[in-house]
Amino acid sequence: MAWAPRQKVIVPIDFSDDSFDALDTALDLVDDAKKVSVINVLAVLEPAEPGVIWATIDEESRARHAEQAMRERLTDAKYKGVEIKIEFGDAGHEVARFAQEQGADLIVLSSHGRTGIKRLLIGSVAERIVRLAHCPVLVLRK
Amino acid sequence: MIVGPADTAASASGWAKQLDEQFGRWVVDPLAAVLFFDLRQLINPGQELSGPPIRFIVVWLFCGAVFFTLRMSFINLRGFAHSIKLTLGFYDNPDEPGEVSHFQALASALSATVGLGNIAGVAIAVGQGGPGAVFWLVVAGLLGMSSKFAECSLGQMYRKVARDGTISGGPMHYLRDGLAEMRLKPLGVVLSILFSFMCIGGSLGGGCAFQVGQSMGAVAQQFPIFAEDRYPWLYGIILAVLVGVVIIGGIRRIAATAEKIVPLMCGVYVLGCLYILLMNWSHLGETMATIWRGAWTPDAAYGGFLGVLLIGVQRAAFSNEAGAGSASIAHAAAKTNEPISEGIVALLEPFIDTVVVCTMTGLVIVSTGVYNDESLQHLITGNQGAPLTSAAFAKAAWWFPWIVTISVFLFAYSTMISWSYYGERCATMLFGARASLPYKFLFLTFVVLGSIITAGKILDFSDLMILSMALPNILGVVLLSGKVRRALDEYWEKYQSNLLVPRREP
Repeated sequence: MAWAPRQKVIVPIDFSDDSFDALDTALDLVDDAKKVSVINVLAVLEPAEPGVIWATIDEESRARHAEQAMRERLTDAKYKGVEIKIEFGDAGHEVARFAQEQGADLIVLSSHGRTGIKRLLIGSVAERIVRLAHCPVLVLRK
Repeated sequence: MIVGPADTAASASGWAKQLDEQFGRWVVDPLAAVLFFDLRQLINPGQELSGPPIRFIVVWLFCGAVFFTLRMSFINLRGFAHSIKLTLGFYDNPDEPGEVSHFQALASALSATVGLGNIAGVAIAVGQGGPGAVFWLVVAGLLGMSSKFAECSLGQMYRKVARDGTISGGPMHYLRDGLAEMRLKPLGVVLSILFSFMCIGGSLGGGCAFQVGQSMGAVAQQFPIFAEDRYPWLYGIILAVLVGVVIIGGIRRIAATAEKIVPLMCGVYVLGCLYILLMNWSHLGETMATIWRGAWTPDAAYGGFLGVLLIGVQRAAFSNEAGAGSASIAHAAAKTNEPISEGIVALLEPFIDTVVVCTMTGLVIVSTGVYNDESLQHLITGNQGAPLTSAAFAKAAWWFPWIVTISVFLFAYSTMISWSYYGERCATMLFGARASLPYKFLFLTFVVLGSIITAGKILDFSDLMILSMALPNILGVVLLSGKVRRALDEYWEKYQSNLLVPRREP
């Protein structure tokens, strides 16, 4: 195609099958797996969560667990070189921020396509990313 | 039978009274009609009844506790020793999935249950039900241990371990997923949603407004600026700031410190009570006799035997939350591969909360005779629980009531933090992550409301909400009790044949 991502493609992953499909799509768009970065955003924990009160859980241990889980999913050879990033906070904001920092050309993600009440209440991370991103966003549909 | 700031005309200004009334008409009364339905109506329909009512929800709780005790073959007694060993960490394995150790999970749940119910609620229970209420309080506490066991085991069985190692568990999960496994998915979903709503209500009522209102009563004794005719709302604002700084500001240090101090404060409070009892050492036998007599043949003024029993049960349930299901949210975070082990640890909760702390308060109230004291009657009729306990403590030394004041403040604060967590979990379960902040603001609103609305409808709401959680919860746990029983038998078998290896020697 006339336009193709040159430097970096960011793929937000929430461990759903759709998000991993988006990763595969992203890998198809670039020639080198190293150009793809995967980001998983974890929510900030509540102060009254037992693990927080007793300081047995911290961002480091959570990031470690999440990264481990990610690696276990991405064992296939085609994923070699893909960067894995774990962030904390609101998914929409963190993905947009990460993409900006990395100077990304493109963000690829799938959308659940929620309508009605669910979309109103739960919101769409995809919509927020589209709104906040500095670069093009490719929203895949099922 | 509700406790809260005194119903004085001075404190009910125009708009507050209006709010109070509207709240009563639209929220409290309908709920009370169902949950507080007086079962005596079934026997004598339409008749005017006097004396303490036989409330449906309290009977429900009591029957649930009895059922679980029998179904689990008195796990509350036979599991006790093992419970202590588990809590002391002899079977701890940090590599097992979860966030905290058995002890830490127990401490977290305790910081939510040990609150004003233990100090103020008991005082009023004795005031209204007589000394006999203390006996039934203990019985309810012992039976409630089995309810706790069942619900916390289920909380562990159906918890979700997220990829980052964090835990999500509780009745919202086990009611839905557990019943789905039994081919009762629609019922499970309904119960789960019902529970979540009730839990949010419980967190705003019993976990928040009640704590504020009652603790204010005790704190106002030492700091009269907070008295109803002066600036009660100031207390609400201060607490709202202290809570807001943690739950919205994210300053975890304060919450963590407060919650960790709770076990210590419990100890101090219990020691204070013991001192008072020792002071009245010679009367102790008499106190016990009074309680025993009051339990079986109460004074006419306190209503029938059943009424006193149910006052004891209601107060115990409100205090230790056995049957309500909330504690399973905290216990689900324990590091273990054996769900039953956490259920056994949870046995200690109603024990510590009710059989120890509540009983101490009750004994103090009875042995010092404050429940009978003419000059203090206005506290009882005004539902001033904490000041009554304070008055009892004052008999030991002039500075003793400070123990009550400090304990009360700390318990209220830690209970509020923990319950804001329970409520927030349910809110996000129902409405998604975006509900988190609005819920927290709602919570803070109720903190302030708790200091200005009198012991009227808003506090009736507290009892109703906490107890109402037991409606879907006990139903679900009863249906799932077969599963729990089977798992218990398996675990117990392992335990008896020494297949569970303690990692440290006792």
